[in-house]
Amino acid sequence: MSTVLLQQGINGVVLGSLYVLVALGLTLIYGVLVQINFAHADVVTIGAFAAYFFTFTFGGNYLASIAVALLVGAILGWLVNAAIFAPLRERGSELLPLIATIGVSVLLQNVMLLWFGPIPYAFDSPYSNQVIRLWGGTFITGQNLIIIVVSTLTIALLYAFMKFTFMGKALRAVAQDRETAGLMGINPNHLIMLTFVIASALAGMGGAMLGPILVLTPFAGTTVIVKAFAIVIIGGFGNVEGTIIAGLLVGLIESYTTQFVNPGLIDIVVFTLLLMMLAFRPTGLIAEKREENV
Amino acid sequence: MSSRDHTELANPFDRSSVSRRWWLLGAIVTIGLLPLVFQDSYWRTNLIVCALNVMLAIGLDFILGYAGQLNLGHSAFYGIGAYVSTLVITKLGLPFWVAFLCGIVLAGAAGMALSMFAVRLRGHYLAIASLGFAVIVHQVLVNWISLTQGPLGIYGIKPPPEIALPGLPVISFGNSANMFYLVAGFALLFYVLLDQLVRSPIGETLTAIREDEVSASSLGINCPAWKVFAFGAGSAVAGAAGAFYASSVGTLVPDAFIITESFTILAMVIVGGMGTLIGPVWGAILLTVLPEVLRGFGDLRLVLYGAALTLVVLFMPGGIVQAAQIVRAQFDRLRARLEAG
Repeated sequence: MSTVLLQQGINGVVLGSLYVLVALGLTLIYGVLVQINFAHADVVTIGAFAAYFFTFTFGGNYLASIAVALLVGAILGWLVNAAIFAPLRERGSELLPLIATIGVSVLLQNVMLLWFGPIPYAFDSPYSNQVIRLWGGTFITGQNLIIIVVSTLTIALLYAFMKFTFMGKALRAVAQDRETAGLMGINPNHLIMLTFVIASALAGMGGAMLGPILVLTPFAGTTVIVKAFAIVIIGGFGNVEGTIIAGLLVGLIESYTTQFVNPGLIDIVVFTLLLMMLAFRPTGLIAEKREENV
Repeated sequence: MSSRDHTELANPFDRSSVSRRWWLLGAIVTIGLLPLVFQDSYWRTNLIVCALNVMLAIGLDFILGYAGQLNLGHSAFYGIGAYVSTLVITKLGLPFWVAFLCGIVLAGAAGMALSMFAVRLRGHYLAIASLGFAVIVHQVLVNWISLTQGPLGIYGIKPPPEIALPGLPVISFGNSANMFYLVAGFALLFYVLLDQLVRSPIGETLTAIREDEVSASSLGINCPAWKVFAFGAGSAVAGAAGAFYASSVGTLVPDAFIITESFTILAMVIVGGMGTLIGPVWGAILLTVLPEVLRGFGDLRLVLYGAALTLVVLFMPGGIVQAAQIVRAQFDRLRARLEAG
């Protein structure tokens, strides 16, 4: 029993760290722009497909394909900002950019459906069959180890970037007060672009690592993104630490629900938690200093 | 009120109450003629789908365009209406019209309950809460197999009972023309009701809340209560559409009410022009009929919806209504120039 508990705990952390990668992108964009990018889901999907084609069609290395997906994600992020968010920024509407990115998402999914078809792609990572034995009868596959190491490193790097570099500080300054940051000689438009590039690079990379776990179809990203939305709300929108904790929490909920209850109930459990959070603690797990989010 | 003058100017379809009466007459005549023009069952089915989509779109527009709340869970209220009305007939053995009312009431109540959760929060939170709600409802429909039969679906749902009035031929809703008259009649009824509502002081209250909630509440408006009301009313209309969907299609599967369905309804509202009631009607008709006309191009329906949604938000945020306005302004200018010689 304790072996099962531990094993599912490991699986939950693996899944959770991928959710964190995807959800961090959403939370970064929300922090700077107070906008939701629905097309984030498709950056995940396209990242997964990019990694798939790089590995299987062009015979590339799987680890290199994660970098490829990161690059593809970064380009997509730049495009989404340039095509949708930048033109709509002047209009100052709260909901129009979200609606436009829903359109982008529906468009991308169905174009992918035309190209790639509805049949799931078998994305077998070469590391999925390598098993590393751990204590007490538990184990971790090579693929899952890669996921944990790569996402932990990425999150740590991002954290260091935000805390210690000038760009990171400028980014947080823009998130706190765009106009004042502008007066200090920071160009908010450049930083917003940078945020989209970083956020989408994380999503693309998350997609490359989710590919072997998910059922890889053009709609794969949507199942991830709805959970990522739940995570950013549970963690508190724009709150990086909260997002990390909530992401791991949702990953654990998912793996324990699969083991002990019924895999069909995962979404019900996660979103009931989301609605409860909205009702009783809308600032998220960690209370934010910025009250205007609510 | 000046705000009313403003809407009169903004909407080229809508000038005075006299012309509104003519529009209504025109709509009734058009509804009457349509099944006579389209005799084959394929197009008659599409007519019914059109009427259902009109109902869904005006319900969503009331929530989004008038009360300013982005509801991404409209598919859930549609599904609640469909399943509740069907289950009330099959499990409880109650007559169709009682079941129909149950569907409306439960969908409306669910909408009110959901908006109570998020009513104090910013628009984005409601959008995500409603998205989450849609996911929950869909998963419940899939997993509660003893009640909904899950993905296997419910088959053989009967059309509404026939109406036998003395001295008149029996009206059977197994006939697609009669079913269309019924659904379109209700769509028109809901349109007129919502139209009356947005023209009343309630409509102005909602618009005030949408434009500036802080100012509205400083005027003594109970903003949360009105937002919950608008959400409930719009969801109730979706519930009615659901009940008609079940009884006209005859089959129910949970996948008819996935989130994508919410997005297609959203596309109809945006393409038509949110914040006007007539816009979403045209949006629903256009986005239902156009993919059928373009059938030869394969499964482009949702590609079209996505592209339309994005492009309209970017370049013509007022949708068809704004486009019509521009065309009319150009036409007036041309006529003025011609008259001037």
